[in-house]
Amino acid sequence: MRDILSARFLARTGLLAILALYTFYSAGPFLWIASMSLRTTSEISANAYALPETLHWEKYIEAWTGSNYGAYFWNSTIVVVSAVLALTIIGAMAAHCLARYRFPGNRVVLFVIFSTLIFPPQITIISLFQSLVEYQLYDTLLGLTLVYIAIQLPLTVYILEGFFARIPQDLYDAAKVDGYSHWEIFWKITMPVGMPAIATTVILNFINLWNEFLYAVVLITDESNRTLPLGVQKFMGDQLEDIGMISTGLMIAIVPVIVVYAFFSEKLIQGMTAGAVK
Amino acid sequence: MTAITATSENGVRTSAFARLREALRGDDALTTAWGAVIVFVTPALLTYAAFTAYPVIRTFWNSVHIIRPGGRTEFVGLDHYVELFSNDDIFFRAVSNTLTWAGVAPLIDVGVGLLLALCLYAKVPFARVFRVAWFTPVLISYVVVAILWMWIYNYDWGVANMLLRSVGLQEWQQTWIGHPDTALWSLIFAHAWKWAGFNMVVCLAAIHALPREVLEAAELDNCGWFQKLIFIIVPMIRPTLVNLLILAFIGKMRVFDLVWIMTGGGPMWSTETVSTYVYKRAFEWNTFDLGYPSTVAAIWFIVVLCCVLGLTWLFRQRDRLEY
Repeated sequence: MRDILSARFLARTGLLAILALYTFYSAGPFLWIASMSLRTTSEISANAYALPETLHWEKYIEAWTGSNYGAYFWNSTIVVVSAVLALTIIGAMAAHCLARYRFPGNRVVLFVIFSTLIFPPQITIISLFQSLVEYQLYDTLLGLTLVYIAIQLPLTVYILEGFFARIPQDLYDAAKVDGYSHWEIFWKITMPVGMPAIATTVILNFINLWNEFLYAVVLITDESNRTLPLGVQKFMGDQLEDIGMISTGLMIAIVPVIVVYAFFSEKLIQGMTAGAVK
Repeated sequence: MTAITATSENGVRTSAFARLREALRGDDALTTAWGAVIVFVTPALLTYAAFTAYPVIRTFWNSVHIIRPGGRTEFVGLDHYVELFSNDDIFFRAVSNTLTWAGVAPLIDVGVGLLLALCLYAKVPFARVFRVAWFTPVLISYVVVAILWMWIYNYDWGVANMLLRSVGLQEWQQTWIGHPDTALWSLIFAHAWKWAGFNMVVCLAAIHALPREVLEAAELDNCGWFQKLIFIIVPMIRPTLVNLLILAFIGKMRVFDLVWIMTGGGPMWSTETVSTYVYKRAFEWNTFDLGYPSTVAAIWFIVVLCCVLGLTWLFRQRDRLEY
């Protein structure tokens, strides 16, 4: 009996050790960057792995003002917030319609929108570049926002349609008896009742677009229009050796996402697992 | 994925056909009111038409033209296609790298994700801390992941070589992303770092959705954890695993950001992917032609569609488990 217990204990300890190692591998890099973001480059070149002795918070101020991270951050914020707002309204309207109205072609529309999820981005990116140039939207935040709306639309419609279709019919029948118009039904029934799903898509779209790089690198050239991922990449290209400052920039890009995750982790995970779990 | 794209590549994608099948049953409620339908769907359809459908068609149109700067075009028929298949070694190198990546990485991602999910399901101590630590990389932008891993792979002061030195394996030190033999695998490893956590949360959700009785019955039958895994959990969450594999596959077929920032496709084309090649031909090389890269994109589009359809067909469930 004692042998079994100790064998179990050993297995358990071994497992925990492996998990601790994996955790070190998956979380260690964050701690490393966080620590480097508060150290100067000369301190880092002396020893890349030491903990900060003095916390150089002023590096964040310097990155924000001196290295243009402030501008990148606002560009990202403007683009992502407007794209997410538009996505929520356009996507919810379409999802409401597809989930609650019967009309010929309903399922075809859903399938067509949905199937674009598997398209590789290259199939659209060259032509989008051409079109945006033709309409003077190339290298503008508006152009990037429009493209961002389009690339996240399928996922948004997909998640919302699935949820809206499961709202009890009784609510809609009652609304019709009360004489609600089509728009009121959407605005006063579907939107409030569907809020959990809407919150999920908002968070998911926010994180995906905040991190987006490919379309930004193709559609934006001017320094003053760069979004944060683009700004960080260009900054690294120019200041390859300035490890300390790059780390600070990386932290500025990471923190908003971590904050969103900290507050909405359940919603986010629901969104990411929706659909993949059958 | 990409994003996610994944978102872009990330985000959620699921078997299109399962969805369509389910959808065709449709039991919709409000009777047709075309006015309302048009108002509700038009914004989405316009966005779709302008920013997805039209660009796709235009790319195919591009692929049989030479597109010079300033929009001057010249029809060349299938010349680009012939050129691509007859003497573009870089393209085939890119295809082989991308297919290697798309063949190997989904198995790693989903395998590791499943194992991590099982550990959390088995209620190891500190499960909450573990879950957060394992999941966080999913949220991080590829730009950040790329820079971070460039430092990890740095020859002089990177973590990888430092660990090797500290255990006395100096001769194993590498310029990880600077050598053609190791570069692709180093990138695959960094990419897996980001995605294992996503697969973990999805697997965990799927396991939690299983009926408790089945797992309890297995425990009563004195079923070891390994048997439980192979004979009960994996078959029961099979649809989820298949979805995850296909999602991961789609993500790897479009991989761009990480490669572009870490190696730019080098050294010696050893990490060139189809996406980076399209980007280079279109926007980096001074070939002054958007037609040829469009051809590459068009071919790859067809390849991805066929692969996804093929995989969906291959993994279709012939006998559905009822529970």
